[in-house]
Amino acid sequence: MFKVVDRLLERVRLDLARPHEFAAERVGFLVCRAASLEREGIVVLAHDYSPVEDEDYVDDPTVGAMMGPAAIRKALEFVLNNKAGMFHVHMHDHHGRPRFSRIDARESAKFVPDFWNVRPGMPHGALVVSTDSVWGMCWYPGISAPVEISEFVVVGSPMVLVRNPS
Amino acid sequence: MSERYARQSFLGSRSEEIFKSCRVTVIGLGGGGSHIVQQLAHIGIGNFLIFDADHVEDSNLNRLVGATHEDVASKTAKTAVATRLINGVNPNTSIVAVPKKWQESADLLRGSDVIFGCVDSFSERQQIEVAARRYLIPYIDIGMDVHPLEHQFAISGQVILSLPGELCMTCMGFLREDLLAREAANYGAAGSRPQVIWPNGVLASLAVGIFVQLMTPWHKNHRRVWYLEYDGNSQTVTTSNRLAHLSGVVCNHFSSLEDVGDPFWVPTKVVAG
Repeated sequence: MFKVVDRLLERVRLDLARPHEFAAERVGFLVCRAASLEREGIVVLAHDYSPVEDEDYVDDPTVGAMMGPAAIRKALEFVLNNKAGMFHVHMHDHHGRPRFSRIDARESAKFVPDFWNVRPGMPHGALVVSTDSVWGMCWYPGISAPVEISEFVVVGSPMVLVRNPS
Repeated sequence: MSERYARQSFLGSRSEEIFKSCRVTVIGLGGGGSHIVQQLAHIGIGNFLIFDADHVEDSNLNRLVGATHEDVASKTAKTAVATRLINGVNPNTSIVAVPKKWQESADLLRGSDVIFGCVDSFSERQQIEVAARRYLIPYIDIGMDVHPLEHQFAISGQVILSLPGELCMTCMGFLREDLLAREAANYGAAGSRPQVIWPNGVLASLAVGIFVQLMTPWHKNHRRVWYLEYDGNSQTVTTSNRLAHLSGVVCNHFSSLEDVGDPFWVPTKVVAG
C-alpha cells in the first residue's frame, strides 16, 4: 500500500507540469518511510517531494526526461544520510489510471535498485501520476523483481482509495 | 447499487464499493463508540477494527447501544457487543475485535483508512493522534462532559477531525500542556464521570457525518479541518471560535521525516504490494 497526502501529491503535479527548457517532461522523487502491515505486505508513506533541478536534466530527445548524474547523486546522498525510501515520479498528462511505458519500465529498472547500494533496508520504487490517479512499482529489499503496488490511498478531503488497481 | 443502499445513492455511484472496501478503526466502544459502529454498519462499512478492554457493567446500560441486561450478567466484552451489533446489520463484514487496550496492539492501526477515537483522557487522545499522523490516517475524535455550574449542570462536547497535513489537536488548542499535566497529576482520582446517551448520539452522528464527507462527499464545500463544539444545554453545535484565529496557520508538530512510518522498520521476507 502507498499513502500520500493530497496536498503533497498536488505539489508533485504542479512541479511536474512546469515546462523545461529542453526536456519534454519533468521528474522528481518522493521521500518515503515504511511500516509493516499486520495482514500482509507493507505501507509506504510519502513524506516529502524533491524535484529534479532544471540544470540536472540531460538533453536526450529519445526520452521524455533524462536525469543527469547530479540528479541521481543528490537522491542517493539523501537516502545515505536519512533512513528513507526514494520513489521516482513522473506524470502522464491524462485522466484515469496511468501505466509505465516500456521506456519507463526499462529506465526505472536501471536506476531504482541503485538506491539499495546506499540504503539497502528500505523499499524504493517508481510512480507515474496522471491528473487524477497514480500507479507504480516497488522494489522491496532483497527482491530484485519489482512488485506492482496494489493499493494507493490519497489522504485528504476527499479521501481517494485505489484498491487492487491491476 | 444494491437495494439496501438505494436511499444513500446520492453519495455517489461508487459509494457502496468505497464503504465496502473501507477499513475503519473505532477505539472505545462505550457511549460514543457503540453509536458509531452501529451507524457505520448501516452505512455499509466492510472492514472494522474495534478496541475496548472493558466488559459490560450495569452502569453502562444507560447509554451503551446494543448492550442488554444479559450482557451485564455474563460480563460480555464490549467488543463482543459491537461485533453482534455490526453482524446483526451486515453479517458479511470483516471484524477484528480486540478486547484489550489499543496500545497493546497498536501495530494493527497501520492499515486503517480512518480512526475514530471515543476515549476519556487527553493523554490517550494525544497518543492516538500521534499514531494516526505517523501512518497518515485521518483521526476523528469525540468526547462529552458534564460540568457542575452553580447548582446546575452544563453538558458539553466536541468533535474534531485531525487530518494529516492539516491542523492537529494541539494547533487547535484542544490538547494543551496544562490540561495534560493536570490530568497526569489527577491520575486515578477522577472517579466515574457523568455520561448520558443523547449527547453521545449527537456527537457520534456528527463524527459519522464528517467521515462520510471525507469518503463520499455529496457537496463541493470540502472542509479539511473540523472542530465542532456541542452545547448540550442550548442543544446547539457550532464551529469552535478557535479555528477563526488559525486561518493560514500550518501545523509543524508532525513535520519531520522521523514522525512518519515505523522508525524501527526492517524488511520481512514475505511481501505483497
